[in-house]
Amino acid sequence: MTDSKYFTTTKKGEIFELKAELNSDKKEKKKEAVKKVIASMTVGKDVSALFPDVVNCMQTDNLELKKLVYLYLMNYAKSQPDMAIMAVNTFVKDCEDANPLIRALAVRTMGCIRVDKITEYLCEPLRKCLKDEDPYVRKTAAVCVAKLHDINSQLVEDQGFLDALRDLLSDSNPMVVANAVAAISEILDTSPTAQQVLEMNSVTINKLLTALNECTEWGQVFILDSISNYTPKDDKEAQSISERVTPRLAHANAAVVLSAIKVVMKYMEMLEPNSEYVTMLVKKLAPPLVTLLSAEPEIQYVALRNINLIVQKRSDILKNEMKVFFVKYNDPIYVKLEKLDIMIRLTNQSNIAQVLAELKEYATEVDVDFVRKSVRAIGRCAIKVEQAAERCVSTLLDLIQTKVNYVVQEAIVVIKDIFRKYPNKYESIIATLCENLDTLDEPEARASMIWIIGEYAERIDNADELLESFLEGFQDENAQVQLQLLTAIVKLFLKRPTNTQELVQQVLSLSTQDSDNPDLRDRGYIYWRLLSTDPAAAKEVVLAAKPLISEETDLIEPTLLDELICHISSLASVYHRPPNNFVEGRSSLRRSLPPRSASGNNVGDAVPEEVLQMQNSGQSSAPQATVIPGADSLIGDLLDMDLGGPSSYQQNQMFQTPSAQPVQTTAGIDLLGEGLDSLLGGGSTAGDALGGLGDIFSGGQSSSYVPPQEVFLPANKGKGLEISGTFARRNGQVFMELTFTNKAMQAMGDLGIQFNKNSFGLAPAAPINIPSPLPPNGSASTSLPLSTTGAVQKMEPLLALQAAIKNNIGVFYFSCTVPLHVLFTEDGEMDKKEFLSTWKEIPSQNEEQYTITNVQHSADSVSQKLRNSNIFTIAKRNVEGQDMLYQSLKLTNGIKVLAELKIQPGNNNFVLSLKCRALDIYAGVQLAYDTILHN
Amino acid sequence: MGGLLSYFSGLFGSKERRILILGLDGAGKTTILYRLQVGEVVTTIPTIGFNVETVTYKNLKFQVWDLGGQTSIRPYWRCYYSNTDAIIYVVDSMDRDRIGISKQELVSMLEEDELKKAVLVVFANKQDIEGAMTVSEVANALGLSALKNRKYQIFKTSAIKGLGLDEAMEWLSDTVQQQK
Repeated sequence: MTDSKYFTTTKKGEIFELKAELNSDKKEKKKEAVKKVIASMTVGKDVSALFPDVVNCMQTDNLELKKLVYLYLMNYAKSQPDMAIMAVNTFVKDCEDANPLIRALAVRTMGCIRVDKITEYLCEPLRKCLKDEDPYVRKTAAVCVAKLHDINSQLVEDQGFLDALRDLLSDSNPMVVANAVAAISEILDTSPTAQQVLEMNSVTINKLLTALNECTEWGQVFILDSISNYTPKDDKEAQSISERVTPRLAHANAAVVLSAIKVVMKYMEMLEPNSEYVTMLVKKLAPPLVTLLSAEPEIQYVALRNINLIVQKRSDILKNEMKVFFVKYNDPIYVKLEKLDIMIRLTNQSNIAQVLAELKEYATEVDVDFVRKSVRAIGRCAIKVEQAAERCVSTLLDLIQTKVNYVVQEAIVVIKDIFRKYPNKYESIIATLCENLDTLDEPEARASMIWIIGEYAERIDNADELLESFLEGFQDENAQVQLQLLTAIVKLFLKRPTNTQELVQQVLSLSTQDSDNPDLRDRGYIYWRLLSTDPAAAKEVVLAAKPLISEETDLIEPTLLDELICHISSLASVYHRPPNNFVEGRSSLRRSLPPRSASGNNVGDAVPEEVLQMQNSGQSSAPQATVIPGADSLIGDLLDMDLGGPSSYQQNQMFQTPSAQPVQTTAGIDLLGEGLDSLLGGGSTAGDALGGLGDIFSGGQSSSYVPPQEVFLPANKGKGLEISGTFARRNGQVFMELTFTNKAMQAMGDLGIQFNKNSFGLAPAAPINIPSPLPPNGSASTSLPLSTTGAVQKMEPLLALQAAIKNNIGVFYFSCTVPLHVLFTEDGEMDKKEFLSTWKEIPSQNEEQYTITNVQHSADSVSQKLRNSNIFTIAKRNVEGQDMLYQSLKLTNGIKVLAELKIQPGNNNFVLSLKCRALDIYAGVQLAYDTILHN
Repeated sequence: MGGLLSYFSGLFGSKERRILILGLDGAGKTTILYRLQVGEVVTTIPTIGFNVETVTYKNLKFQVWDLGGQTSIRPYWRCYYSNTDAIIYVVDSMDRDRIGISKQELVSMLEEDELKKAVLVVFANKQDIEGAMTVSEVANALGLSALKNRKYQIFKTSAIKGLGLDEAMEWLSDTVQQQK
């Protein structure tokens, strides 16, 4: 006998019973059986084996039974993908049923069945339902399109469902319109290709606005969100849409209100900032925001997170509403902390007294986190409102007297910032601070205290003793404290060299020999070498004047802020992070605020409009865009960032032959390179051989495009020093063309420049070379050669470059945008084979398409023009009357970009497809194409 | 005795008989189903799945299942075999190319245990079209003569014109009643 008998079961079991019942003749019994099946399914039993039997019950005139079967199908169709095909015919029939409820039920269920094999059979019924006479069916079908798009976007686009969806925007029933809008925005979120079909225009927006007043609250949210994604063609349209949206601000539903606020916030960008209408809008925005704060705490929190963004963008909206942000005793902690943050942002000279009184109260509460934040808030007030600094400091001193450990520690941390902001004003309180040395146990507080001791070593008699006491436990300290201690002791030594030598040696050996922390070791070695080679230089470096700290800390970076404003009333605005940061599979399409409309009178003549728009779309509040990182991190960083200007030693290191004119030097090198090229038989043209002269003819056709200079640092920010500039590429090197203008009353000298770490490792390759000193009203220009071997850190936005300029008056910061095309290298030409294989290797989802409008060139002049900027045309093909140019370029950091440029004769709009492994640079490359082709 | 029982069951019509309509795609199964049910020709699209309707003929209630004939669906015919009283096998008499496939499907179907007792009616459909295979041609092509232990009959039909359906149903209902 075999053992197979063990595997054949004689037990029939529950499934078998159900199966028999499902096949019963009696309808009642059948229905009962399906109910039992659904019950089992709900509690998690696998009843997928009954699939054929349940599906056979599908064709029935009993609505209850039909719904149950549909429910089963939604759950199990995925596990029985082949068998699911048996349900198709029933769907087709049900979509033609006389009862609209059944038609809608069928189309809804169809959308939930995520089986690839059957989706194509469902297209016809869906098409019918989209044109159904009953609005309930149409509205259900609209959502089904979005669901189908998620399963198979290509199918939806091929079948023309997107057009059908767009047609539904003009539907007579507002619910249908709302659902169509919801479906469209969902599709647009995932598919950039759908953009062309579903792009809103003023006609559709008008229809949406009409439907807005009649549909349900959630429909209104969808419509408002969709309107906020539309960019009106001019300020008039922006104004008229805003007018029709503002009544929604009074809606009872918080989501509707926030969505309406989003629309208004976005459209206000397009309007004349000082116009009466904007002032009126600003007034209208405050009451709804205030009302949101009387809702449940959870809604309050969401509202506060959004308000936090709104206040950063437009502080005037809520400037008179300070009181509503005062903390109530029964607010949950998350609401309290958020309110506190907004309070500080709204603080100004007129309300500081009130705010300070509040904060003082808060600092005596019981919740530790809240108290800490309150103490910090007091410090921030002092930094923000100079007039109140004194009161703030005395408040902080009072708090220190309470001797509550964490209060004292927080107070010391903020007092350090106050010292930075107002030097030589409040140092008298150092004595009080020193009394509390022993209680400090948190690294941040210890580090702050040590910084204070080091910074004011000359005023603290026993500074050496104090620091020595810290040094005892050096090994056990946090890295932050170790770094501060090292710096503080070196400062002490430079200020009071007598008696402290031993201390310095001790700390230097501790940090260089006994530490595993590379930061600490490096800093130790730097000090050591500085001190041993040139103590005077060390003094200049370590005790250099520090830049002022900014008033506002933890501001959101402006481009991010603008993006987040576009996402008000979504999770992104609560997280304060862009959606592609936490939602997987979202297209990298970034939203940005619209530029101010061209009909406004603020478009400069010199700057081409497109360029201006591109810049504006990034940061509409350009001038104050420079954000200096929070004060805490600066203390450490600035010491590392040597602002003393390159010393003579450094210069010699960099350039073995210190040259008066860097341009000449590089030209010389390049001539050599060209010579080699021609020796090798390379087809270098005569024009190139004149590389050194290229500079002179920089306006001519044959050189790479140089954008016009723009003001990097306005005179009012630079204490009279105005800097304007641009970027250029000549002879294989990047140059920063700078013009310095002295608008102050005194001469300026000792110019030095330093860059922050940036995405492409740009760093000055030579000191600034202008006649010094620069007399009042004088102006001088220079070409600063840049190397691309500096420290790399990915910036946001990618092409931002933060620079610090030092002169005899102070240190100033500015940030500017590097046009990507100056980073295109001369060796970016790929051979055809490599191009082909690379194109294939890069996955097609990396491909992105752009349209470059209004180009006045033929294919040939385009290649020439692009070649001048190091975009190389590798091959040209004529396909059905269109010219296809295949191009490659390479960035200084080695990233290669492949491009395909499609040119139709008689059409000024070129289609650019880019392929590259680094998606981040697409925007820059596209902009480069755009600017090169338009100039 | 059997006659008496059938008389009663005929009188009360209590039990629904289960009939399957099978055949290759495009043979005319769905058209036949609705011709039987409503007596009219309806426009049809390929059946991806199944149709089920109740047809009353001479006091007998039939639950008629019309299954799609596409290659992708044929494997699922077996899910419908149990408790089947009769099979209507529809053949497109114009489709000489695929009559072989039709035969294979028929043969493999009849081998199923669950269909041992089922009555077989073959419809040589589309007889209204000129040049169609005759009934005997179809019967030969399907190898009907080789069938053993099976009650079967072949009819020439035209679902569009309504030809032959009555005779076929007449025979079918009689035979089914005798079976019980």
